[in-house]
Amino acid sequence: MASVGLPRPKAARTILWRSVMAVLLALIGFLVVTQIKTEWRIKRTLRIPSTQLGELAVALRRQEHTRAVLETKVVELRARLAEYQKAAAESRTAAAGMNRQLQDLRALVGLTPLQGPGVVVTLTDSTRPPKPGEDPNKTILHYSDIAGVVAELWAAGAEAIAVNGERVISSTGINCVGTTILCNTKRMAPPYVITAIGDSRSLAQYLRRPGGALEMLAAFDFPVRVTPYARVDVPPYRGTFRFEYAEISEKE
Amino acid sequence: MWLPVVGLILGVALGFLFSVEIPLGYVKYTAIAILAAIDTILGGLRAQVEDRFDLSIFLSGFVVNAAFAALLAGIGDLLGLDIYLGAVIAFSIRIFDNVGFIRRDVITHYLKPGR
Repeated sequence: MASVGLPRPKAARTILWRSVMAVLLALIGFLVVTQIKTEWRIKRTLRIPSTQLGELAVALRRQEHTRAVLETKVVELRARLAEYQKAAAESRTAAAGMNRQLQDLRALVGLTPLQGPGVVVTLTDSTRPPKPGEDPNKTILHYSDIAGVVAELWAAGAEAIAVNGERVISSTGINCVGTTILCNTKRMAPPYVITAIGDSRSLAQYLRRPGGALEMLAAFDFPVRVTPYARVDVPPYRGTFRFEYAEISEKE
Repeated sequence: MWLPVVGLILGVALGFLFSVEIPLGYVKYTAIAILAAIDTILGGLRAQVEDRFDLSIFLSGFVVNAAFAALLAGIGDLLGLDIYLGAVIAFSIRIFDNVGFIRRDVITHYLKPGR
């Protein structure tokens, strides 16, 4: 329409103008569309106009800085966590080991009931009536007889011993009070049943050996019975432990 | 006269077809480039209407204006000052000037050819 009313320029110049205009308009169209699309994308994704991108950049940089700081903190905390976990695992294994050790020690000092193969020795006062004029002491069992059998059992390799259900521990004394025998704090009367855990065969053999305590008792007509068992039970020590004078010494 | 229109349509179509991602930091520069291009187009239109169109002046005007606007925007970024607004204002004023001249020219030459 412009070419109709306006003074006609030279044809070549018109064609040049049109083509240049076409190229430029194409460029503008392309740029405008791209720009609008970009703006839309920014508004859609960031929800702010592109003129505030600077503020966004500042916020981003601040966030990045914070993030870097937090990342180093995370690394630090992870290392500390690993340390704690290692320590916890170590203390757990240490506690488990200590617990196992404690159980072993409790069993060793006699605080746990024990079972296993062993022998049962039964001693009773002599059934023979004392001869006239004979010392009646010779027909009754003395604490030394019991203590002798217990000592022989230890010597034969017994691992746990009980006399009439009273556990013999390291501080157990076997003594007599008047006419009764005292083991730990318990008064006992015949029959005396001594239970020992260990290799039942060797225990029995050791007890029956010639010249042993049992042979002596048998010679004095005391009924002595030694019975091996595949399983005997030894009760735990029920008394107390007390150190009044003793202290733990640093000396080896 | 349809050739420029075809070019415009072609450019728009290309813009829709190829989604060119303008990096977020350069949105400002493309906006100025668009302004420079519109300014150049209107200047060329005015020159054509006044029958004094010159290709070298036209193209050099476009290139130098766009480059200088971009330079201003870049310096503004460096200084933390929105100097590119100056280019925007200058381009806008020129665009309005050109529109005004084109309007007068068209009225003078086309609507009132008798005078």
